[in-house]
Amino acid sequence: MKQDYFSANNIKYIDYKDIEILKKFLNPNGKIMSHKRTGVTAKNQRGLTSAIKHARFLGLLPFLVK
Amino acid sequence: MQDGEVKDKNEISEGADFKVYELGYLLAPTIAEENIPVSYGNLKDLVSSFGGELISDEIPKMIPLAYSMSKVVANVRNKFNTAYFGWSKFVMDSDKILELKKHLDLDSNFIRFLILKTVKENTIAAKRFVRGDSYKRLPTRRSIDSETAVPINKEEIDKEIDALVAV
Repeated sequence: MKQDYFSANNIKYIDYKDIEILKKFLNPNGKIMSHKRTGVTAKNQRGLTSAIKHARFLGLLPFLVK
Repeated sequence: MQDGEVKDKNEISEGADFKVYELGYLLAPTIAEENIPVSYGNLKDLVSSFGGELISDEIPKMIPLAYSMSKVVANVRNKFNTAYFGWSKFVMDSDKILELKKHLDLDSNFIRFLILKTVKENTIAAKRFVRGDSYKRLPTRRSIDSETAVPINKEEIDKEIDALVAV
């Protein structure tokens, strides 16, 4: 995935409740993928990271998949 | 004199710093399903009592938690694997939001909550797009499984392969 997913889908604000989108950027262990792998712009990667962390806090996403 | 008065008014409006906030929360599953609208209504009243103006919200609904959470209420540690997840978006004075937080901290019905600064625009538009996709997928899966599944899952498969290679 070389193109930025969020600008391609016209997503301006990355919402922590959109877990279906956020799940795309987690590896099988539940870790956040690096920007090298996601191909997301630096700004969106920062937003993505905080959205995933907010979702984790509220139990929508796991911290760790065993 | 008139200028001075105008300035004063401006100062008042600037002093009240209204920002858009979002409150996401998890309600304890010990609350009966019939009482959910009651606590939902209480929260709405609480927000409006602090001068908040609701923009959008969602009624709490039962979700399975991704991991078990514990909360100590009256010296008893409670473990939760499910909870009612709800959220509401509102405009509020930035000074009042701290008071709201303090108030929510004392509420034993909440397992957790999260107050975020957000934007007024509907951020779930993207969610609908994704949902629409998944709704479209469901009927096609029954009839023509292979044709529809391949183009949609390509990216995911690529990612999974990448992840496997990395491990």
